[in-house]
Amino acid sequence: MGRYIARRLLQAIPLLLIISLVLFVLMQAAGDPLATLGGRQPPRAEDRARLARQWGLDQPVLVQYLYWLVGNDWAMMDSDGDGIPDQPGTRKGVLRGDFGNSLVTRQPAMEVIMERVPNTLVLMLTAQALIIVFALLVGIYSALHQYSLMDNVLTGCSFAAFSMPIFFIALFSIYLFSIRFKAWGLPSFPTGGMYDPAVGRTFAQVASHLVLPAMSIALIDIARYSRYIRSNMLEVINSDYIRTARAKGLRERYILFIHAFKNAALPLVTLIGLDLPFLLAGAVVTERIFAWPGMGRLFLDHLNRTDIPVMMGLLMMISVAVVFFQLMTDIVYTWLDPRIRYT
Amino acid sequence: MIFKRLTVLMLVVVVAAGIVGPVGAQGSKSVTIAFDQEADNLNPMYTTMTFAGYVYAIFLSGAWNFDDELLPHPVLAAEIPSLENGGLSADGRMITITLRDDIKWSDGEPITSADFAFTHEMFVSDANSPLTRDPYNRITSLETPDERTVVVHFDEPFAPWLGLFRYILPEHILRPVYEADGSLDNAAWNRAPTVGSGPFVFAEWEVGSFIRGVRNENYFDAPALLDTIVIRFVPDPEAYLAALKNGDSDVGTFVAFPDLPELEATGFLDVGIYASGYNEGWFMNANPETAHPAMLDVNVRRALAYAFNRAQIDNDLLLGYTYPPSSYWEGTPYADPDLEPYPYDPEMATQLLDEAGWVDSDGDGIRDKDGQPLTLRYATNTRQIRMDVQVVVQQDFADLGIGIELLNYPSDIFWNTYADNGPMATGQYDIGQWSSSPDGFPDPDIVRFMCNEIPTPENPIGDNWQGYCNPDLDALFVEQARTMDYDARVAIFHQMDRVIKDDAIWIGVWYDADSWIYNTRIQNVRLNGASPFWNINEWDVAG
Repeated sequence: MGRYIARRLLQAIPLLLIISLVLFVLMQAAGDPLATLGGRQPPRAEDRARLARQWGLDQPVLVQYLYWLVGNDWAMMDSDGDGIPDQPGTRKGVLRGDFGNSLVTRQPAMEVIMERVPNTLVLMLTAQALIIVFALLVGIYSALHQYSLMDNVLTGCSFAAFSMPIFFIALFSIYLFSIRFKAWGLPSFPTGGMYDPAVGRTFAQVASHLVLPAMSIALIDIARYSRYIRSNMLEVINSDYIRTARAKGLRERYILFIHAFKNAALPLVTLIGLDLPFLLAGAVVTERIFAWPGMGRLFLDHLNRTDIPVMMGLLMMISVAVVFFQLMTDIVYTWLDPRIRYT
Repeated sequence: MIFKRLTVLMLVVVVAAGIVGPVGAQGSKSVTIAFDQEADNLNPMYTTMTFAGYVYAIFLSGAWNFDDELLPHPVLAAEIPSLENGGLSADGRMITITLRDDIKWSDGEPITSADFAFTHEMFVSDANSPLTRDPYNRITSLETPDERTVVVHFDEPFAPWLGLFRYILPEHILRPVYEADGSLDNAAWNRAPTVGSGPFVFAEWEVGSFIRGVRNENYFDAPALLDTIVIRFVPDPEAYLAALKNGDSDVGTFVAFPDLPELEATGFLDVGIYASGYNEGWFMNANPETAHPAMLDVNVRRALAYAFNRAQIDNDLLLGYTYPPSSYWEGTPYADPDLEPYPYDPEMATQLLDEAGWVDSDGDGIRDKDGQPLTLRYATNTRQIRMDVQVVVQQDFADLGIGIELLNYPSDIFWNTYADNGPMATGQYDIGQWSSSPDGFPDPDIVRFMCNEIPTPENPIGDNWQGYCNPDLDALFVEQARTMDYDARVAIFHQMDRVIKDDAIWIGVWYDADSWIYNTRIQNVRLNGASPFWNINEWDVAG
C-alpha cells in the first residue's frame, strides 16, 4: 500500500505541472486584467502601458508562466520603463511557495485565498453534513419502505428539489424566511453576510446567518444523494447474502447497517470523494446571493478582474485537492471492500 | 425514530438561530451602507474603483472636497486657493495651499505639508505601481516652505488643479514602510488604514462581508454624530434589494432604475438621483480612414441624432428616472443650461439624409449613395440595457432606410487600446455607445475630442477614438485647461458644448446619474455623485 501511495504521489507531480500550464494558458482568454482595473471606464493608455510593464503582463505568455512557476529574481527587469533592464525581479515563483500578489488587492495570492477557506469550509461542511445525514435518512427509509405512500412522497419531493435551480431556492428562502417572516412579526433570518458586525462573530450569529445558505445548498444534494442511496440499498437488501443473514437469525438493524449499508455505501464513497475537493471551491451562486464571504465569491470577484495570481492559486489548490481526495477515496475502498487490494 | 429525532433537532436549531439572528447592537448609533462590489484597496493610489473611493473617503481627508452642489469647500486647506486670495498665481503655474492649524491624524499626530509632499512623491515614484499617476505627474516641483504651506508648480497653467490632493497619505506611518520594503504596493495600511484623517477611523475589514469604521475622536472638524459606520458587500442584485427592504442595509446605490419604484413603495426608503459625471452617449466615428463615408458628413450625423427617439427609450426602458442629456458635462455647472438636445424628428432626419444624397436608389429599403449602402456599424459592450437600446434603434432606423449592423463586445475587448487592436480605439465602428465621465470629476477637464489625441501607430495612447478633429474646438480645449478663473472657464465649456452639438460628434443618450437609496431614519443626508459622504460626520439616526 505504501508503495502504491508513493507511486500515485509521484505521478501527481507531472500531472499538476501539465494542469498548471494548461490553466495558465486558458487564463489568458479570461479577459484583460488591465481592461478597467475595477473602474467605470478604462484606464489612461499611459497608465495601462506602465502597469503592464510593472506587472509583467507585457511579456509573452510562456515567459509569464515561467516567472509564475520559478520566479523572476534571477532575471533583470525594467523598473522605470526606459526599455533597459536595470534590477532583478522580486518574485520567487510557485515552486518556492510564492504564488505572486493579487492584481486586485495587492496582497499575496495565497493570503487572499486562505482568508476565505475557513468561511467556505464552515458553509460547505455544514451543508455536506446536512446532505449526508438527511440523504441517508431519506434514502434508507425509502428503500426499506419501497412504494409506500411516504416513499412516493419523498421521491416526489426529491425530484422537485433536484429540479429546482439553486438561485430560485436561495432567493425564495430570503423572501420567505427574511422578508415575509419579518413582516409577519415572526423570528426572521438575516438576508446575507456571515454575522452582524455590531454583534460580532459569535456562534449564534454565524449559525443564524448559516441556516439559509446551508439549507439552500443542502436541499438539492439531499435529493441527489438520497436517490443513489435508495437504489443501492434496494439492490443490496434483495441480494442473497442478506437473505442468508436473515436466515441465520441476525437482528434486522445489524443486517441493515453492518451488512447492507456498508456494501451499499461504496458508490456513495465515490460520490463524496468526488465532491469533497470541490467543497474548497465554495458555492458560487449561493455565496453570491447570501453575500457569504467564501471561495465561490472570491472566484467570481477575481475572475471578473482576471486576477491571474489569485485564480491560478485557487485553481491549483482545487487541482491538488482533487488528486489528494481521489487517492483517499481509493484507500477508503480497501477498508469498505476487503476484496480490493492495491499493489 | 432516528429520523424523527434528527428532524426535530434540526428544526430546533433553525428556529433558535432565527430568533437570535435579527439581534443588533443596542444603544449605539450605526448606519449600514450596502455596495454590490467589495472595495479592492483603501489606498487612493491603488484603486480606481468607485466603491473603494467611497469607502476610503470616510477614513481619509484631502485639501478640499465637494458639497452637494458639487462646489469645492476646504477641508485640510484653510481656504480654496483663488486668484483673489493669492493661492493661484496669475499665470496659472503655481498653487499655494495654506493648511489649517488644527488638522491632525486619528492618532493625534499633526497633518503637515510634509504629508502633502509625501503623497505626491508616492504617486510618481517608479518604485510604486499606482493605478494612475494623473494628475500628480503634471506637477513639476513641490515646495513646503513651512508646515502649513504647500507650493505646487506646473510647466503649463493647470486649471483642473482641484483634482490634486483629494486625499492625503500619512507620512509618519507609510514612510518607514516605503523605506523598509522599497515600495508601498504591499503595505498593510493599504487594506487597513488604521490611522486616517476622516470623520471615522478604520476598525476592521471582514473580507467579503463588511468594513467597519468607528468615530474618529481626534477628528479636527465637527465630530461624527454616529458611533459606527458599516459598509456591507451584497453582490447579488435581488439580495441587495432585499437587504434594503428588510432594513439590513440603510443606504444603497447603483440600483437599476426599474427597481427604484418598489424601493420607494416601502415608505421608509428615499431615492435620489445625483450627477456622477457620467453620461451615456453615442460617440460618432468621424475618422476618414475608418468611418463609413456618410459619417464624415455632419448633416448625416445630425440626421442620426434626429432619428433617435432617446426620450422614449429613457421613459420606457429607464422609467423616466433620466432624460437625454444635451451636454457632455450634463448635471454639472459646466453644462450650458440653454442648450437643448436634438429632438426626435424623423421628418428632419429624412430631409437631411435626402439633401446629403443618401436615398434608396435601388429599392432595397436601405439608402445608398454612389453604390454604397447606408449601413452603419453600431457597437457597444454586452451590458443588457445597451443591447436593448440597440434593438430599438435598429427598428427605428430601418423605417428611415438606415441599415444597422449590431456589434457587441465583452468589456475587456471593447475597452482595449489602439496597441491591442481595441475595436473602439481603432475605429472599427460608426456609432459607439458607452458611458463616460471626466477623470477628475467634478472637474470637467477631458482631452477626448482633441486633434492630437487621435490614436496612431506613433501615438497609440491617444484618447480621441472618434478620429474627429476641429481646430476651433481644439483651441477651446486648450484655453479651458489654462483658464484659472472659474466663471471664464464655465463660459468656455458652454461654447464647447455648442460646437460638440453642432458637429453632432457626441449625442447624449441618457443622463447617467447615480441612484442612491437611503432609509428615512437617517438625518442630514446630503449626497452628491462625486464624494457622496462629504458630510457623513453630520449624519444622525432618529431615536
